[in-house]
Amino acid sequence: MIKETSLICALWLVLAAVFPANAQTMSYADAISQLAAACRNDIEKYCKGVPLGPRLKTCFDTNGARMSPQCQQARGIVYTSISRRAAAQRNIGDACNADIARLCGTSHADAHLVECLLSVSPAAMSSQCNQTFTDTGWRTERARQ
Amino acid sequence: MQSDIHRYRLAYGKGAAMKSHYIFVVAAALIFWAAVTGAPAQQQINSGQMATSLAAVSNTGLSLTGAQMRQAVLDNIHNYPGALPPHPLTFPQLENLAQFVVEVDFDFNSAVIRPSSYRTIGAIADALHNPILLGYGFLVIGHTDSVGGRQFNVGLSQRRAEAIRDALIDPFNVNPAVLDAVGMGEEQLRDPAHPTSGVNRRVQLVNVGKKFCFGRSGEQFVCP
Repeated sequence: MIKETSLICALWLVLAAVFPANAQTMSYADAISQLAAACRNDIEKYCKGVPLGPRLKTCFDTNGARMSPQCQQARGIVYTSISRRAAAQRNIGDACNADIARLCGTSHADAHLVECLLSVSPAAMSSQCNQTFTDTGWRTERARQ
Repeated sequence: MQSDIHRYRLAYGKGAAMKSHYIFVVAAALIFWAAVTGAPAQQQINSGQMATSLAAVSNTGLSLTGAQMRQAVLDNIHNYPGALPPHPLTFPQLENLAQFVVEVDFDFNSAVIRPSSYRTIGAIADALHNPILLGYGFLVIGHTDSVGGRQFNVGLSQRRAEAIRDALIDPFNVNPAVLDAVGMGEEQLRDPAHPTSGVNRRVQLVNVGKKFCFGRSGEQFVCP
């Protein structure tokens, strides 16, 4: 029990170190290709034939302890990044509602919302809104267009 | 319809097992598509360009449903039997819609996406989450070459298109309500003169128009 707890603590410390709260999330493409690169052999060994999706995550959760250290590390980082980006994209309307009303005089929770946030300086945004907007990845996606 | 596919899949299972591993190709906006056909198989997809291409053509929505397309595919096989489709199946309604092409590798004779193609699925997810595509609906259309029975190929391409759809939904959190998967089999060969060529193996991602609008406080509703 103590061992488990300290393992979990150690994992959190590692995650906190490599994924600080103000870090950017990865694009879904970068995240999942990092997983594929770090875990290619482990997927072949433990999760062969398991489709990319919830069953793959279950396979990682079930066999994680047996997988290579680089795969275990990547798995934690990658799934954390994916769920953080997904949560940010889901919650941006709530997180930035007040900012959008203040900065752009509107509260449309659609593409206009993003145009508003892209048009203003991060310094003008509340830290919560700025962090959530950063986590959505939409600044970097816009730069790719 | 599903049970028919299953039955034929079993019937044609042996022939299809001869098939070497399958590659799916998704197609880009048609103009863009012509420009990239010479590109190497495992080109790295730019999600920003994909999003721009998928948003490039404004359209007012498609009356054709995925279910109607799936039925049309089965009808085409029934009405025009033969080892190769004597009449390619066409959907003129799709031709002017924004679309994109990529390639996805699958395990042999299976709908399991290979790790080498995880990045591609992630890039599609990045594009579909781009705010310029917010609320739009998409068809994921799988195509095969002519190796294997026609009905088998419909079933396999359907399961592969569904595997892509499922991965986009989880882990990549794309709204399930905006995605529909269609298996076209070999009914729409891109190069009918070379029916076994790899250029026929592809998945089209097609923007079928705005499905959802958003209210002032972020609530989602079907556009009026």
